Amino acid sequence: MTLLALVLILLALVTFVAGQIFLKHAMESTTQTDFQKSSVAVRLGAGILLMTISFFITLGLLQRFDLSYLYPFQGLSVLIISLIAALVLKEKLSWQLMIGALLITAGVVLVSMS
Amino acid sequence: MSPRDWHYWLDMTSNRPSGFANPWLQLALSVLCVLASELLLKRGATEVADPNSALSWTGINGLTSSLVWWAILLVIVSFASWLYVLKYIPLTVAFPLSRVVDVLVPISCWLLLGEIISVRRWCGIALVIAGLALVAKPVAELEEKL
Repeated sequence: MTLLALVLILLALVTFVAGQIFLKHAMESTTQTDFQKSSVAVRLGAGILLMTISFFITLGLLQRFDLSYLYPFQGLSVLIISLIAALVLKEKLSWQLMIGALLITAGVVLVSMS
Repeated sequence: MSPRDWHYWLDMTSNRPSGFANPWLQLALSVLCVLASELLLKRGATEVADPNSALSWTGINGLTSSLVWWAILLVIVSFASWLYVLKYIPLTVAFPLSRVVDVLVPISCWLLLGEIISVRRWCGIALVIAGLALVAKPVAELEEKL
């Protein structure tokens, strides 16, 4: 694997995770009574843009690598999203959720390796 | 569960709309739409496969299959219900649970498309199910009490 491929795989992962965080942040703020429509729209837009970038980077990678090679990296998103959501969005992360996310990631890696 | 945990989960399960607007139901809907779309995409792509054409590498010829269009519709529905889920359920719970598709897709491929699952893959599926159970347990316990 070349360095460029590694960078692209990481970039696809980072943009996917950041996209989900933006979408969550946007949707969550709509439950408040005095939310600002414009800031929700900006965050939703940023989320959708980031997801789109991730989608096209993945599409490009899929033309060069097997899905079974790329899929374990997508499995990592479970773990990373849980950690980032706890850090950035101040969501509660119990040990039970953490081990659950770890098991799911390990399972996805195993499924795509066979 | 500690009392602090209990209040956290209580807040999440009681302060939410019921019936079709129930976010847990919407999460299930989102997952099922993704599952159906993956199967339709595979069927659709196989249906119109044209390995000799260079254009087929872009996947654009897939659009000639009506199954692919149904899949696109389902992807849009799943995205809409996912946005709704994000309004009510924390990402640390909703996102891991959404990965139930990683179990449902291979099992459906086995049942419906006649694909073969290796022993190692079954082990991976079992691990994912164990992880899902851990994430879902506190929610299920609370739903029972309510």
